[in-house]
Order: sequence, then C-alpha cells, then structure tokens
Amino acid sequence: MDDIVVRPLSPAGDKQLHHFEFRGSGGEFFRIWIVNIALSLVTLGIYSAWAKVRTRRYFYGNTFVAGHGFDYHASPVRILIGRIIALALFGVYNLLLRISPYALLPAMILLGAAIPWLIVSSRRFNARNTSYRNVRFNFSGTYGGAFQAYIAWPLAGALTLGGLMPLAHRAQDYYYINNHAFGGKRFATVFPGWSIYKVYLLALLLFLGLVVGTLAFLLLLSPFADSAGGFGAGVSFVGMIAILIIMPGWLIIVNYVRAAGLVLALENTALDNRHTLQSEIEPGSLVWIMTSNVFLILITFGLFYPWARVRAAHYMADHLSLLAASNLDEFTSETFATQGAIGEEIAGFFDYDIGL
Amino acid sequence: MSEAVAGRYFFPGTTRFVAARAVADGDILRVEDESGTVLAHVALELVEISPRLGTLRRRFTFMDAGCFETEDSDAADCLLMGKRKGVSAHHLERSWQWAAVSVLFAAAAMFAFVVYGIPGIALWLAQETPPSFAATLSEQTLATLDRTVLKPSALPSPDRLRAEALFARAAGHGRSGSGQYKLLLRSAASLGPNALALPDGTIVMTDQLWPFVKADDEAIGVFAHEIAHVDHAHSLQAVYQAALVPAAIAVVTGDISQISQMAAILPGVLIQAAYSRGLEQQADDDAAMTVRQLGGNTARMADLLERLDTKLCGKAGCPANWLGTHPQTAARAARLRSAGTK
Repeated sequence: MDDIVVRPLSPAGDKQLHHFEFRGSGGEFFRIWIVNIALSLVTLGIYSAWAKVRTRRYFYGNTFVAGHGFDYHASPVRILIGRIIALALFGVYNLLLRISPYALLPAMILLGAAIPWLIVSSRRFNARNTSYRNVRFNFSGTYGGAFQAYIAWPLAGALTLGGLMPLAHRAQDYYYINNHAFGGKRFATVFPGWSIYKVYLLALLLFLGLVVGTLAFLLLLSPFADSAGGFGAGVSFVGMIAILIIMPGWLIIVNYVRAAGLVLALENTALDNRHTLQSEIEPGSLVWIMTSNVFLILITFGLFYPWARVRAAHYMADHLSLLAASNLDEFTSETFATQGAIGEEIAGFFDYDIGL
Repeated sequence: MSEAVAGRYFFPGTTRFVAARAVADGDILRVEDESGTVLAHVALELVEISPRLGTLRRRFTFMDAGCFETEDSDAADCLLMGKRKGVSAHHLERSWQWAAVSVLFAAAAMFAFVVYGIPGIALWLAQETPPSFAATLSEQTLATLDRTVLKPSALPSPDRLRAEALFARAAGHGRSGSGQYKLLLRSAASLGPNALALPDGTIVMTDQLWPFVKADDEAIGVFAHEIAHVDHAHSLQAVYQAALVPAAIAVVTGDISQISQMAAILPGVLIQAAYSRGLEQQADDDAAMTVRQLGGNTARMADLLERLDTKLCGKAGCPANWLGTHPQTAARAARLRSAGTK
C-alpha cells in the first residue's frame, strides 16, 4: 500500500486533513454475511458469536483514516456466553409481559435499573475491544452518568411533554462521546442547545404532517371501518393502509433525528482538544440511504442487507475527515482489564445497542 | 527460512510504527526493520494471529503488546505453513458457489423453521404449560378487558337462556367435558359482533353478535369454534409464537442493527398473522365437526360469516388480507360448506 509511509513529524500548528475511507465491498461482505447465517443455522445459533466478531472486524478493519484501519478484538467465546444469558433473560422478560399485565410494572422497574449498567458495560466492552494503530479505545462512563443521561433526562423530557427531549438527546451524546478516550486522551463534543432544538422542531413539523396525512386517509376510507379478533373476520384493510403510510413516515422522522443529531455531535468532536473531526454528512442524504435501504431489504427478501450496510458505511466514511494536529504518533495504550460480554449482549437484545 | 513478508511493526502499546518485514525461522518469528535491526523475536506459538477475513490485513500480536501487520494475507499464510491447521470460514466466504449454497440452505432452513419449527415449539410449550398458569392468565386478561372494552350484557333474559342452552350443547362436545367451559355475555361496542376464548375455558360473546344469529346451528358453530380454541390451547400457542418470532429473527440476523430491526417488523407481523390464520382454520374444522355430530348443518356457520362480512365490508365482502388474523371469509365459508357434505 502507498499509505505505508512514515510521515515526518509535522511542525507544530501545521494541521493535516485526513479523509476517512471505507474499503469494504458489498459483494465481499455478502459472502461473509450469508456464510455467517448458514453456519449460525447449522450450529443452532452457536456460530452467531463468531459471526458477530467477523462482521464487526470487517467493518472496523475496512474503515481507514490517515493510512490505517481500525481493528475489533472481541473474543467470540465471551460473546457466546453473554448471548446465552441474554437470550434466557430476553425470553423470560417477553413471556412475563405477555402473561400478566401486572408483571409489566416490576419488569419495567427492573429493566430501568439495569439499563444504565447495560449501557456502561456494552460501551466499555466495545471501546476496549476496538483499536487503531495498535492502541485501544476506552470508555469511562459511570452508572450514575448513564442513569442521568438515559433515565433522568428522558423522564424530564416526558414530564415536560417533550420540551426537554432535545436536551436529553444532547445529554446522551455528551455521555457517549465525552466518556470515550483513545490512548488515554479524551474525546469531547460540545454544541449549543438551540442547534439540537432546531433538529427536533423540524422533526415535529414532519410528524404533524404525517398525522394530518394519515387522518385524511383514514377519513376517506372510513366506510371500510374494521374489526378484528374472535369469530368475526379480522378485516384490517384500513389498518394495512395506515401501516403503509405510518411506517415509512415514522422511519423517515426517526432517521432524520438520528442523522441530524449524529452530524451535530460528530462535527463538534475533538480528541485531546487538538485533533478535530470534520463532517460533510448531509442528514437528508443519510435519511435517504437509511430509508431506501429498508425498502430495498424488504423487496429483496433480505438479500440486499449486506449492500445496505456497505452503502451506509461508504457514505459515512466518504463524508468524514480528521483534522490532525500531529502525525498521531503520540498515543500510548492505557492498561485495563478485559471484561465479559454479558452486558453488551443483553443490551443488544434489549435494543440499547446504539453506537456511532 | 521462509520468504520475508512486508508490512509494518507497531511498538508495544503505542501508535508509533515502522515499515518492517517478518520471517519465519523454524518455530521462531522474526520481525526486523528495513535496516535489518531485529524488532521482535518470538516463538510462533506465542503469537496471536488474526483469522483471515476478506481482503483485510492480518495482525500478528505479540505478548509484549507490540504487533506486526501485513496486507499480504497469502504470504502470511505461507509464513504459518503447517503451524496453524484447521478449516477457516474464509474458505467458504471467498467462494460465490458456497455463497449460493448458503443462500439456498438459509432460505430452506428459515422456511422450515417458520412453517414447522416455531408452531411446533409453541404447541409443545402450550401443552406443557400448567393449567394453573392458564387460569391466572385468563383471570388477568378478563379483568383487563372488563376494565377497558367490556360492559355488562344488556341481552333480554329469553335470549340469554337460549344462548346458554345452545352453549351447553356445544360444550358437551368439547374435549374436557361440558363442566370445563363457561359462557360470559358482555356488551362491547368497540369489539362489534364478536366472540373470544380465554385459555381456562371462559368464552365471551358480545351482545352485538346476537342479532346476527338467525339459526341455532350458527350459535353452536360460534361456541364450538371458541371451544376448539380452548381445547387446542390456541391463545397460549399464540403467546409463545409471538415471543419466538422476534427471538428467532434476532438469532439469525445476529448483529441487531437498526436497519435489520426496522426491516424485520413487517415480516414478523406477516408471520404471526399467518400462524393466527392456521389456528383459526383448525378451530373452524373442529366447530364443523361438532355441528355435524349434533346433526346440524355446517352451511349455517358459513351463512353467519358472510352476514358479518357484509356488515363489515359491504356486498363485495372484505378483500384478501395478508395481515388478517383470520382467513378470508369466502374461503372459510367454502370450507365450512364442504365440511357439511362429507
């Protein structure tokens, strides 16, 4: 590779711009993905832990900046153990909720108490198993911090009928990014509150448009009003049409908030106060990629999935760069213990696996 | 001594690196820089080597946290010749033929699992569930329904007595004997003309259904249909099916990302609706048998279904629906009519 050249130390103040690059291809990842699925099925799910590691390694390893790729080091055996425990808990939780409405409250309280722990251990597991140029990342968030960002803030958001939700979103971004470190040097992001309020305001307008559109449709079709369940025919013709409008609409809104929030957080991120990220990611383009991906996955019976992921990774990498203040030679590893994957896997099952 | 493999060496625990080459000398791996200075000299068995994956570079990690990286995966394999044996997933992943085989196998396995696996497991779990559990579930469901959608029945008492008498006839043909089933009458404007079964044998019929019932066989058919739901533990099966579908999707897709979750919602709903239609057909078949054994006419059940369908969707009937929890009315009616002629 041409990139394997030792760059001379740049003089102080001389910043260098490195574009991120994704070198994976859809066809190559398709074969990895489908073999992963086949082997997971043959082994009744056991191989899925190895599949997860191979998938992550593929995406991290093919993401390059300044001539070097990232690496993912998690042990499949640890992931398998975590996965078995998570599956058991997930099954019990799901059953409890369906069996008794009275189990809902205790289950929610228990899960609520576990969420901060799940977030901390999942983030730490992933950070510590990720490296760049032979140096590991780390995550130093605490249970208290996660409780604030993921329980207290959303609660405040709900109590104010969404009024504080944008700040809750920002608190979670701060918690995620500002607790990450590379080679002992901290990442930090700061952005003004009004910038995230702007994102949510636009999302709110989109949502109102969706509600009005759906209601208009339902009124037009009300002669076909439905009823379902029991002995009578379950006619959800109108329901089906409502789903066809609401699902893509909701998907677009959720993706917009995610994409715009991500852009905001990324373009204000710095490592060690001197290496900064620069983003040219357009929330609109990202929303288009995410939404059309879901559609393409559906019409290809899932076969498009590998291309969808590669397409998203390409877009992200192509629109992100690192403005480095040095040749990045100065980082040295922190020492920390490796840890189990139980929290990471439970978090995965309960859908708290939100990464950047 | 093997051929030298070109790459770069990272000093222990730092981002500092130099261009380097690796050579295997017997069981020893030696890494040296371009001037020939030895950077690492380690027994091969103590080196952690990343498995081959696509065209990704290979990483040789040493115990002192130094590491050697090369883009030349073939050369890296030569270096290890004879040292690390074993089948690697990479052999399958590199070939389009194996990818095609995997697609076919995965499709067949998932089809079989959805068609036979999940319903089979759900049936087994439903049969193994202790009756006390079904009783608790029923009590709580009924309590919730009574609080939300159900109101006390306003049917005049002759109608009520007639409904109970017909229910007793249908219950006599239930699997667990007539004492095990109980009819509850409730008014429910939001449910419309409807009847539903709880796992402990409690069957709820809405007042709104009664005006549609024109013949005794129709009411017996409705009750027998709901009793069949109880006999086959259909509601428990549905509970287990609903829990198994997302778990199965999670296990297969593995890395649960936002994309796959969103894309999995619709197939999940479609699969569960298909299961529900299967259970409904079984209940219809059982009900037809009961009506026949009582000397009735199963075509009456079809008449009632069509009357309800016309009420809901007009003369043309309701359109076919993949999201429907019940089979299409025309198909149900035809099946019930043909059951009477056998």
